[in-house]
Amino acid sequence: MALAGYVRKFPALKILTEEQVEQIHRGTLRVLWTTGVHMEHRGALDILARAGCTVDYDNWRVRYPPALVEEALRLCPSTFFIKTRDASKTLQIGGNRLYMLPFPGHHTVDLNTWEPRNPTRKEFYDGVKVLDALESVHGLWSYTPYFGFEGVPPSMCLLESMAGKIRNSGKFLTEGYSKGSEQFTIRMAQAVGAEVCVPCLLSPPLTYYEDAIGAALRGAEAGFPVRISEGAVYGGTAPASIAGALVSACANLIAPIVLLQLHRPGTRIFLNDFTFPQNMTTGAPGFGNIAIALHSAAFNQIWHKYGVPVCNGAAVPASKRIDFQSGYERAMNAALFASSGANFILLHGGVAAELTHHPLQAILDDDISGMIGRFLEGIEVSEESLALDLIEQVGPVPGHFLSKPHTRTWWRKDQYVPKAADRLTYPEWLQSGKKDCMAYAQERMEHILAHHKPPALTPSQEEELERILEEARAHYAAEGLITPDEMATYQRSISAPGYPYE
Amino acid sequence: MAMKGFVRNFPPLNILSEEDIENVHRGMLRVLWTTGVRIEHKRALDLLESAGCKVDRDTNRVRMPPALVEECIRLAPSSFSWRAKDPANSLMMGGNTLYFAPAPGQNTIDLNTFEPRPATRKEYYDAVRVLDYLPTLHFFTTYTPYFGYAGVPPCMGMLESLAARLRNSSKAVVVGHSHNSERFAIQIAQALGIEVMGTCTAAPPLTYFADAIDSAFSLAEAGMPVRITGAPVMGASAPATLAGSLVSNLVEVISALVLVQTISPGTRTMLLDFAMPMNMHTGAPAFGNVAVCIHISGFNQICRHYGIPTYNADGYPGSKRPDYQSAYEKAFRAIFTGLSGGSSRPLHGGVYGELSHSPLQAVLDDDIAGMVGRYLEGMSVTDETMALDLIEQVGPVPGHFLGLAHTRKWWKQEQYIPKSSDTLTYPEWLQSGKKSCIDYARERMENIIATHKPMPLTERQEDDLERILDEARAHYQKTGQISSEEMSAYRASLASGR
Repeated sequence: MALAGYVRKFPALKILTEEQVEQIHRGTLRVLWTTGVHMEHRGALDILARAGCTVDYDNWRVRYPPALVEEALRLCPSTFFIKTRDASKTLQIGGNRLYMLPFPGHHTVDLNTWEPRNPTRKEFYDGVKVLDALESVHGLWSYTPYFGFEGVPPSMCLLESMAGKIRNSGKFLTEGYSKGSEQFTIRMAQAVGAEVCVPCLLSPPLTYYEDAIGAALRGAEAGFPVRISEGAVYGGTAPASIAGALVSACANLIAPIVLLQLHRPGTRIFLNDFTFPQNMTTGAPGFGNIAIALHSAAFNQIWHKYGVPVCNGAAVPASKRIDFQSGYERAMNAALFASSGANFILLHGGVAAELTHHPLQAILDDDISGMIGRFLEGIEVSEESLALDLIEQVGPVPGHFLSKPHTRTWWRKDQYVPKAADRLTYPEWLQSGKKDCMAYAQERMEHILAHHKPPALTPSQEEELERILEEARAHYAAEGLITPDEMATYQRSISAPGYPYE
Repeated sequence: MAMKGFVRNFPPLNILSEEDIENVHRGMLRVLWTTGVRIEHKRALDLLESAGCKVDRDTNRVRMPPALVEECIRLAPSSFSWRAKDPANSLMMGGNTLYFAPAPGQNTIDLNTFEPRPATRKEYYDAVRVLDYLPTLHFFTTYTPYFGYAGVPPCMGMLESLAARLRNSSKAVVVGHSHNSERFAIQIAQALGIEVMGTCTAAPPLTYFADAIDSAFSLAEAGMPVRITGAPVMGASAPATLAGSLVSNLVEVISALVLVQTISPGTRTMLLDFAMPMNMHTGAPAFGNVAVCIHISGFNQICRHYGIPTYNADGYPGSKRPDYQSAYEKAFRAIFTGLSGGSSRPLHGGVYGELSHSPLQAVLDDDIAGMVGRYLEGMSVTDETMALDLIEQVGPVPGHFLGLAHTRKWWKQEQYIPKSSDTLTYPEWLQSGKKSCIDYARERMENIIATHKPMPLTERQEDDLERILDEARAHYQKTGQISSEEMSAYRASLASGR
């Protein structure tokens, strides 16, 4: 049993020719062999050296022979399952299936001033609750919805996020790492009978530090899937040309794939394309830029050929508000990701850059997701849907289809009716207060928060979760990563009467 | 000479299988032969009968044999040019090129309340100038931007719209038909030395009334290109299914294509898809619905198979304002037309339904169109763009690409920089007044209106235009379609100056 997600019923969009794919592949093999990557993990270097890579230990440099690269790619499963706390939310990743996931943000945002601020614990937990309620949210992402909340010291933010997600949802889990936190997130997932996808985050160009490799190896050793994230900015940490950024991305991502397949053959891996062109005016990533969608389309095409599932994470807007610009930046990129065969898209809730998130945004994005999902189903062409007999029976004007059983049966299947959109005629709209999509989304959000009940943890699961959190708190305090003042603030939050939900 | 438009450099998105296309095509041929269409026009019936169709004069029903249908599809050119006032703005329609037109609306809107109201003549002319300026707007569709303006009687709406466009733009134009207005439009075109694409509009299901067929005859005989329009509402004037409405829509547009090719073989023909699902709560068309994106994808694929250029006419959101919902509804439409190989579509300026338009919206939509155009260009894979030597030279951290000549050259070519969007970082944005895309678009719009000078008509062209407009006014007054009061109001509006 697995969540259906959205299944694409027609061939994916391909923007490269076969020859261009081959050129990118050869270019990738060349870079991996002649230049290699910088990988600051002694154990990883040993594994790679034993398998035939050329390793320069003094400079942490690894060069990969093409045969080893191609063998490692073949070992990656093209489709795999990920276990979730709620078994009905298991994911079957890969192929022509798409799952939609939320897009986190550092802070929440005030919907009147559009200024960011730190959320409260309750806002964090409510944010997860909304994501749990939305059917088009097929899983959760790292530090979702926010990077921690008031009173939590930085070293515990990811773990409080993991706990917040586990307490308020039974959906797919992945969580970032910071200062070895993956050891705790792995145990938290195990405590509730779920798997957590452990990330391995590149430092472009061509560099992996110890924490990234350590996390990947720990995840694979625990038998969990690993996602490898590419986060270059083209013109900055990758070439400014999309093709160059793509070669660089492939080389970057293959480096840990080879390591993982050597260390634990058959490790489930998916890749995240989280690259952006550089905004050459401000120096920031060029959020919302259409170049993102071109890179992702080519990325998807190449990795489908390699047989490794892909996530397109970069449908995040430059606009700081939920407005027209935000709408087209997100919708266009998401539609293009879906058309070109993404297996995951990060969408729901991200308001601006990776800096703000809001559940109202997530509800609006439920409709974009629904539209994508309906598009991917395509057109059913069957005797019943062609309806030739009916067309002939109705004939020309004054014939019509309004009262037909065929219409009553089929209209719902061929439309997607959005849940938080203005669909009124002008007169109705003028008479009923000129409501916009934000007003509908607000109503929907209030309803979800008032009525939705995520699957609860058992008392023993909650106990185990809290015990792991306590251990982590002690561990980071001992490492000097939580000061006494920070711990005092933190403890006040933990001992609040409504803990952990308020 | 022709305007480049946006050229798609990769294969289109195909959502139907070969078998699906075959089934839809055979379905269309079957309905055209067993049921046919109703054409309320004696001259058309006579002509079609002489070409081999079966005609029932009692019901004005025409049944078309498959061989004739397929022959007429073959006769329609797969690509054609169409002359604008400025030859550099002429279009080469068809193939892998996408052109954008504006999305007209009956009225303008108040930008504070978003409530619709009729436009003034000045607002009309200013809006045309904005559209003339925008580089991603390639031609004009019928009655753009608004359906007439204050003081213009309905029967002169199409012609005053044409005049406004010819006076304030040098881009190619399409003209609708209303009370045989196309006859005057053709005369204007001939006098000015340009071409107009005209329309022939079905009344779904499966019906054409006299005005549409009159227009087809006038256009084909004058050698002008023809845009054949079907605008069924799924569940009302077409089946509720996408496949069924594809069939019935194709029956409608192809039957008129057969007529047009019979009148004058080789007539430049464009097929329009304006199918919309029905909002089953309100009874209105479900503007903004994703079903349209799916329908046009199928329609475009089939018309590519036939080799006939297309226009995906629904460019309208369900939202009443330029907001988040409006943007995602428009972005979906624009990108799926591009991906599925549509030849053209309206986009710029449509606010809600076909009921409102705004030049501010058009400026915002210029960025959506620019993004689509950039995407369709695709990506270049060459030694220079793969930059392998550069990747190897830069190596791992702390290497980077910021200071390189390659970066300086390529970043501009790879990105599309929108002109009315907020791209600041949070600190910059907070410090500089938190401007939104609406603020940027308003500045741009005001600047265009204040400074843009479109290519004027020559004195001779203006004289000819006004002469033919006067003839039309006199004609409609004589036929009783303009009352004396309406004419007074009209003259007052004309006298208020351009």
